[in-house]
Amino acid sequence: MPRPAQPGHGADVAAAFYERSGAAAYGVSTEQFAAILDEILCKYLSQNSAHDSARASAEQKADFCAGLRLEELALARACAAGNERAWQDFIARYRQKLHGMALHITRDGAHAAELADSLFADLYGVNARNGVRSSKLVFYTGRGSLEGWLRTVMAQEFINRYRTQKRTVSLEEQTEEGVQFRAAVPEPAGASDRLSQERLEAATDEALAELSSEDRFTLASYYLDGRTLAEIARTLGLHESSVSRRLDRLATGLRKRILAGLRLQGMSHAQAMEALETDVRDIGLNLRSRLTQDSGAKTFPEGKVPAQDAGKGSHD
Amino acid sequence: MTEVPKIVYDRLRAARPERALPDRALPERAGPERTHPDADLLTAFAEQALAATERDGVLEHLAFCGDCREVIALALPAADIVAAPIATETAVRATPVPAKSERNFLTAFAWPSLRWAALAAGVAVVASVLLVHPGKLNQATLPSVNRQVATTAPPVSAPQIAPSSTDQAAISARTSEARPKSESRLSKKLNAGEAVTPPPRAERGMLLAENKNHSGQADKLSAAPSAGVLFDAPTSPRTTETVEVSGAAAAEEVAPSAEDSLMAWNETPAIEKAKPALQEKEMKVNEQQKTQAAVVPGLARSQARAMMSSAKLASPASPALAHNVTWVIIAGVLQRSVDSGQSWQNVLRTDHPLLCYASHEEDVWAGGQAGTLFHSADGGTTWVQVQPSIKAQQLSSDVTHIDVRGDVRGDERGPAEIAISTSNNGIWSSADGGKTWEKK
Repeated sequence: MPRPAQPGHGADVAAAFYERSGAAAYGVSTEQFAAILDEILCKYLSQNSAHDSARASAEQKADFCAGLRLEELALARACAAGNERAWQDFIARYRQKLHGMALHITRDGAHAAELADSLFADLYGVNARNGVRSSKLVFYTGRGSLEGWLRTVMAQEFINRYRTQKRTVSLEEQTEEGVQFRAAVPEPAGASDRLSQERLEAATDEALAELSSEDRFTLASYYLDGRTLAEIARTLGLHESSVSRRLDRLATGLRKRILAGLRLQGMSHAQAMEALETDVRDIGLNLRSRLTQDSGAKTFPEGKVPAQDAGKGSHD
Repeated sequence: MTEVPKIVYDRLRAARPERALPDRALPERAGPERTHPDADLLTAFAEQALAATERDGVLEHLAFCGDCREVIALALPAADIVAAPIATETAVRATPVPAKSERNFLTAFAWPSLRWAALAAGVAVVASVLLVHPGKLNQATLPSVNRQVATTAPPVSAPQIAPSSTDQAAISARTSEARPKSESRLSKKLNAGEAVTPPPRAERGMLLAENKNHSGQADKLSAAPSAGVLFDAPTSPRTTETVEVSGAAAAEEVAPSAEDSLMAWNETPAIEKAKPALQEKEMKVNEQQKTQAAVVPGLARSQARAMMSSAKLASPASPALAHNVTWVIIAGVLQRSVDSGQSWQNVLRTDHPLLCYASHEEDVWAGGQAGTLFHSADGGTTWVQVQPSIKAQQLSSDVTHIDVRGDVRGDERGPAEIAISTSNNGIWSSADGGKTWEKK
């Protein structure tokens, strides 16, 4: 049962957080900082506490706030408020880093400079809405480091830009990418094949549904996204060898579960094996082509998806 | 990496939420199961700063959302590529990201670092075993050899002198006490190790130390000559002396000279020290030995010969006492007394039992089975094996008798004439002190 909040005690804690953040140096008052904390508490504790931040005890709030990057939060919010000293500090700390981050993401000097400058403009709040300068830094909540947040925001910006540019890919560029060599959609299968395919999909879905979120994330990252073991390991905070062993275990377990599922649906072991292997051969080329479109599923206009249309056209 | 069935690719991709990527900088406010986590949550997730429940929620979304997985992958810091976080799954989930120093500390003990340490430790262990163990082996084999010798040598006189064994042991013990400790141990150990291949002098002390436990057997063996007393007459107390001399004889095998001569240590002074104190007791013992040996002479002789089978030779003597020297062969061993039979010493022990001897002044010849023939020109101090031969024939039969005649020409002493009778009635003779031989 949550304990009632103690006003006096809460004020002391808020004052302690304020002092720890160094917000005073950037001209942020205690009330302003408390309002920022309340906003953050409302956003995150409301989701985690049955949509009622009021039910969260003062202790929970204090613990949550203690886990925030208060100093960086104060800096970001002071920058968003237009504090000169805060901007000086921000530029001194992150301006150069922004270019490094952009270069790491884009792997291209020109694009990196463009991306970094664009993000810096967004952070400063060049674009005004309703006459009010809006800085992206106002969305920083201190859950992670400010540097990490900047990287994440930059990655999102890069993806958005990439997609925008992809929509305007010329036919020549598509030809260069080998669009004309994409595999045609296989012929419509017969009734027995469709049944077999449905059973296989159901067994696979069932086997995938049994996986934990982390296992599924690992599978998708490695097999779908083509991430390296090192990247997955860094994301999950594990060692590469752990990820490698997990992937081996998952691949082996999935095959067994799918076969077992097919057997449960009335297929013999030989039939199940045949369905699994046949599907592998059938899907091979198609899957490869579809995986290459993975990040650009909406890159091409609907009428210009060549693989399906070309395949259909050839049979018409 | 193990491949998954292609259907898995298909179904993983088919399960993706078909949503356009919103403005990621803006936090999602409603419908968490249908929205993307904001940049703060993704950052906190990538930095392992989320609580377990929040982390699971983000993971659940990431398992289905390729867009967010891509954002996280792109947002991974470049520096982390080099220094990947190393931690166990449980540790990561239970605790927030440790401080940098703590992380470095953890990575220092992670398996990639430890495996080299483990390899180095393994090499060190193997090296130490290889370096240390052979030394231990050498030390361990020495006593084992001695034990073997001690056990292979039959307890010759023990059965015959059983009634007096207690007294004899006491005598040996008291004798040992009477002499210097080092001499006592030397004699006992060497007596027990008669057939041991010659150890280097540096190891002799170690040999002695290792043989402490066998001193009792050595004492028993020392009674062997006394058991054979009845065959070759002299019945003087010689128990203690036998121990000394035989030990010295075995020790002498250690240092073979270039001339194939075999030197012996003269232990006489030590023997002399012990003698007065033991004389009365030893007399009683010898009387008992004589009685015992007379009962079973054949057995005693065979056992004595067996004891000689693995033995070599030795000899101590003082040339100054040559005029008092008395020789006798007991149990195939040539013994010498330099005090008119008061005490006796083994001076020559060979592979084959000696059967006869002859002496002329300091020239001593001893012959035995299988053509064994030894010559000492210094009263038994050093011995040289002589192999009589003519053309392609060598002396191989038992030497049953030796006759030596000195050739004295004025003040000079010339080479002796030697005549040897063999068991097959052959006679070998040499007129030049054994350099050339004739067979008759």
